[in-house]
Amino acid sequence: MKKYLGPLSKDNPILVQTLGVCSALAVTAQLKPAVVMALSVTVVCACSNFIISLIRNTIPPRIRIIVQLLVVSFFVILVDQMLQAYLYDVSKMLSVFVGLIITNCIVMGRLEAFALSHKPLPSLMDGVMNGVGYGLVLVVVAFFRELLGSGTLWNHPVVPQSWYAAGYLNNGLMILPPMALILVGSIIWVKNGVGDGKLRN
Amino acid sequence: MGDIFNIFVRSVFIDNMVFAYFLGMCSYLAVSKNVKTSFGLGLAVCFVLTVTVPVNYLIDKYLLREGALTWLSSGFAETDLSFLSLIIFIAVIAGIVQLLEMVFERYLPALNMALGIFLPLIAVNCAILGGSLFMQERNFPTVAHSLSYALGSGLGWLLAITAFAAIRERLRYAKVPPALQGNGIAYIITGLLGIGFMAFLGM
Amino acid sequence: MRKFSNTYIFAYITALVLLITVVLTVAFSALKPRRDRNRQAEMYQQILRAAGHDIDREKAVVAFPQLAVPLTDDGRQYSIVCADGSKGIALRLDGKGLWGPIWGYAVLSEDGQTLKGISLDHKSETPGLGAKITQEAFLKSFEGKKLYDKKGDFVSVRVLKSGTSSEIAEENRVDAISGATITSRGVDEMMREITPIVKNVPLQPDNKE
Repeated sequence: MKKYLGPLSKDNPILVQTLGVCSALAVTAQLKPAVVMALSVTVVCACSNFIISLIRNTIPPRIRIIVQLLVVSFFVILVDQMLQAYLYDVSKMLSVFVGLIITNCIVMGRLEAFALSHKPLPSLMDGVMNGVGYGLVLVVVAFFRELLGSGTLWNHPVVPQSWYAAGYLNNGLMILPPMALILVGSIIWVKNGVGDGKLRN
Repeated sequence: MGDIFNIFVRSVFIDNMVFAYFLGMCSYLAVSKNVKTSFGLGLAVCFVLTVTVPVNYLIDKYLLREGALTWLSSGFAETDLSFLSLIIFIAVIAGIVQLLEMVFERYLPALNMALGIFLPLIAVNCAILGGSLFMQERNFPTVAHSLSYALGSGLGWLLAITAFAAIRERLRYAKVPPALQGNGIAYIITGLLGIGFMAFLGM
Repeated sequence: MRKFSNTYIFAYITALVLLITVVLTVAFSALKPRRDRNRQAEMYQQILRAAGHDIDREKAVVAFPQLAVPLTDDGRQYSIVCADGSKGIALRLDGKGLWGPIWGYAVLSEDGQTLKGISLDHKSETPGLGAKITQEAFLKSFEGKKLYDKKGDFVSVRVLKSGTSSEIAEENRVDAISGATITSRGVDEMMREITPIVKNVPLQPDNKE
C-alpha cells in the first residue's frame, strides 16, 4: 500500500515533478470547479492507466504514443459529455480546460512510466493516487483563492457580514491568475520547510 | 483589419497564454534554465501554433461544427460532429508536428539544428492544443483572424519564456531561502511577471 | 520485444479508431436530450432573471410557462410577468464581444418607456474584465433607466465610459466596464438594437411628449 502513497506528498505531480500545472491553475478561482476538475483528472488518469495496462502487450511500440493519445482523448470526451449533461454550470466554468486534460502531462506521464510496464490493478491504483495528489494541491489553492478573494466557500458566504461592515474587503487580486502561481510557490515553500525537510532542486 | 490587429496585440500581452491561462506551463518550467534553449523552444511553439491553429480552424469550420457539412449536401444540416473535435485536433497537431520534423530534416538542416530537438516535445504541449481549443471557442469569423490569434499567442509565449529564462539566469547569483529554491521560486517569479503583464489590461 | 507487422499496426489503429468513434457517438446521442434540456432551462432562467425573478434553473423550467407568453414564433419576444407583479416585454438581444458572441434579454415596461431589467451572458470574454458583464453590479445599473430622452426621442440605454458624451443624460446611460472597452461597446450596440425590435411590437409607446 505504501508505495502508492508517494504521489500524495513525496512525489506530488504538481509540487515536485511540475507536471500537469498547465490546466490546473486556471480553474482554481473557486472551490467547486477545482474539485470537479480534480475528479475528472482522477477518472481520466485511472481509466486510461487501466485500459493501457490491459492492452499493453498488444500495442505496437511504434504507434504507442498515438494509441495513448487516442485512449486518453476518448475518456476526456466522455467526461466532457457527462459534465455537460449532468453538471452544466461547472462545465461552463471549466470550458476548454476539460479538453486540455488530454495534454495534461500527468496522464501521459503515468501511462509511459507506469501503465506500460505494470499489471492492470496496480496501474489503476497508481492512476487514482496521482489524480488525488494532483487534486489535493488544486483544492488547497482553490480554498484560499475563494476564501480570500470572494469571501465564500463552495458559493456559500463564510465571511460574516459584520466584518465587511467593519471595513474588511475581499482581496480582488486573489481571483486573478498570477496569485494562483504565487500560492503554489508558497505551498512548495511550506512543504519543503515544514514537511519531510528534504530539499530538492 | 482593425479587429485582426486588435486580436494580435491582445493575445501577445493581455490574454497571454502563460500568464492568463497557464498554458504550456510544464515545458515553460522545465526548459527555462537558460535563454538560448528557451528562445529555441519559444520559436518552435510559435511556429507550430501558427501552422496548426488555422488548419484546425478550417477543419472545424468545414467539417465538425453543427451544420458545417452543408457544403457537401444539404442533408447534413443537422449533423454535429463537434464532440470529435478534441480527437481530431490532437491528431492534426501530432501529424503536423511529425510532418514538420520530416521537412526540417530533409530541406532545412539549419532550422532543424535549432528547433529539431524541441519538436517532439511540442505535440503534447498544452499551449498548442489550447490554442486550437480557444480558437474554436472564440468563433473567429475568418481564417485571417485565427492566424493573427495564433501568431500573437505564439509570440506571447515566446516572450514569456525568454523573459523568465533571463530572470532565472540572474537568479543564480541571488540568495534564495533554501526551502524555496528550485520550483518554489520559479512559480512565484512567474506570478510576479504575470502581475507585471496585468499592467497592459487598461489598454 | 515482439515484432509487429505493418498490417497488424494498420489494422490495430483502424480498429481502435472505429471502436472509439462508435462508443463516443452512442454516448453523444444518448446524452443529447439532457444537454439540450440544460440549454433550454438556462435560456428560461435568463429571461426570468431579466424580469427580476431570482430563480434557479430547475424551478425556471416549471415557472416559465406560467409567467411568460411568447409574442412571436421565433422565441425572441415574450410578454412576461415581472417580479414586482407588473407586466413587461422581454426581448432577446444578440451582439459581439471581444472574443465571441454575447447575448441576453432586456425586459421593458409595458409602455416601452423604461428598462426594467436585463440579463447578459457571454461565451468567452476575458475573466475579470469582459466577463464582468454577467455580474450583479453591472446588470443592476440598467434597472429603471429610460429608453427615451427628455425630448421624447428614442436613445435606448447606452453603455458609455463615465464622463464621455455628456449630451446623453444620466437616465439614458450606464457606466461601461473599465478595461473592457470592446465588450462594453458590444453591449452598447446590442442595446441600440432594441429600436427596430420595439417597432414590431403592437404596443406603441403612448405618452410621448
